[in-house]
Amino acid sequence: MNDTVLQAKGLTKYYGNSPAVDHLDLEIPRGCICGFVGRNGAGKTTAIKLMLGLLEPTAGSSSLLGCDSSALTPAIRQRIGYVAEGHRLFRWMTIGGLERFQRAFFPKQWDDKLFGDMMEYFDLPKRKKIKHLSNGQRAQVSLALALAPNPELLIMDDPTLGLDAAIRRQFLEGMIELIMRQGRTILFSSHILGDVERVSDRIVVIDKGVLRANCSLEQFQRAIRKVVLGFSGDVPGQVDIEGLLHCKRGDKQLELTLVGADDEKVAAFAKSIRAETYNVVTMSLEDQFIEFTAPANHKRLFQWEER
Amino acid sequence: MRFAALFGKEFRECLPWMLLAAIVLFAFGGFTLRMQAHDINPIREWSRGYSTPGTTMQASRLTFNSPLAVVGPWVFGSAIGLGLILGACQFWIPNFTRTWPFLLHRSVHRSTVLAAKLTAATVGLILAVGGIWVGLFWYACRPDVFGMPQPARIFIEGWIFITLGLVAYLGTAVSGLSEARWYTTKIFGIALAAIVIFVTAMQWSLVWALAVIAFSIALLLSQLFDTFATKEF
Repeated sequence: MNDTVLQAKGLTKYYGNSPAVDHLDLEIPRGCICGFVGRNGAGKTTAIKLMLGLLEPTAGSSSLLGCDSSALTPAIRQRIGYVAEGHRLFRWMTIGGLERFQRAFFPKQWDDKLFGDMMEYFDLPKRKKIKHLSNGQRAQVSLALALAPNPELLIMDDPTLGLDAAIRRQFLEGMIELIMRQGRTILFSSHILGDVERVSDRIVVIDKGVLRANCSLEQFQRAIRKVVLGFSGDVPGQVDIEGLLHCKRGDKQLELTLVGADDEKVAAFAKSIRAETYNVVTMSLEDQFIEFTAPANHKRLFQWEER
Repeated sequence: MRFAALFGKEFRECLPWMLLAAIVLFAFGGFTLRMQAHDINPIREWSRGYSTPGTTMQASRLTFNSPLAVVGPWVFGSAIGLGLILGACQFWIPNFTRTWPFLLHRSVHRSTVLAAKLTAATVGLILAVGGIWVGLFWYACRPDVFGMPQPARIFIEGWIFITLGLVAYLGTAVSGLSEARWYTTKIFGIALAAIVIFVTAMQWSLVWALAVIAFSIALLLSQLFDTFATKEF
């Protein structure tokens, strides 16, 4: 059995002259929960649509479950669950009607009990029409529709967008329910890092269409760190250390955000620039992500204090 | 089963419009026919002035050489109107409601999704407009209504109008799927449908009318299948 469920090679999509996805090389192993993160407009939705064959790549290719994305067969699609961005469902249908519609495409694998249990858990009566549901309820129906066929691969495009904290937690619990089933793979895009941290074991970071990281969550968290160096005299003007993302100068201290720098390297560097103290500051995943994707010369939104 | 699910969804989605077209045709077509039957039609004299017994009238005037002629505009209008609305419902509205990704990620080929849409629209036109047209024709043929048989050609002309509804539907669908700008190729579908409807309405010959319609349907269908198979959603 092939252990890579999703593969992209040089996947590129241009809209006019601007690249939405730029030479994306990606491999997602079977059985992992992969958080696909990036800022707004980073190219997450475009990349997902390219992988699902809903968009035609400008260059490169991708495959899902060993089948080329541009020619996904009905049999392969049957093994893939997809929750589209915004949970756009047929508004005039009832939940029950939508269930019957969806079940027709998964006659052998549809889990009636799971769908029923999820609706009961979310307290959603099947006779209710989609147009009368809130955003959160539509998200719950979307998730149930995607989970009930027991997909091998579940792809979700920003599934928790616009949901409040309580509903998000319910949604993530639903995801964990699927994760408990052996061999399932989930790729979900999000820009809520807390969600990614809660359920993912792998993280893919995309920024301006370019892949910035594809590793285990643990590796990512270990790789990006903030170091505060303290000085009794002047702070050095020039900082030259491998993996430097950002450097912030204080009165008597230097705040460095580094990627891939281990303790030894940091200690050696601190010694080389005669820092008297150095502390490694613990960063949340969100802070790490922001530091990792922020441009080096990013401007503040409000600059009143500088006037 | 999969096709049936898709067909059911499309049919149910378009059902309100089909009912509306059927009600409009039944109410207004039936009303004018009944007025004609009771010889109280104010335009009857005007209509007579254009018709010569034994010949069929020019379709562009949307009248027939029969008391049934007064129903012609209603059949024509209902069919074209319903065709335009069904095309918009099936191929334009999903662009705004953004339901294409959900619909297309199914364990069927895209052509099956399209075939279900086409079948639902065709069945809708046949049932909503064709069904009422058959009913009105049957009513007019009753001996106690006009006291004369109605020519078969009138019946066929009614069905030609209904087929023009299909042309309007396909034209709207092709334009709805196109990503080009209105002043470029996006207009192609609707423009072709409009030309075909105009040309057919001007035809004296049923054979020519059928030939033009068949050609345009073939052209629009091939364009539609090609666009749908390659379109980015």
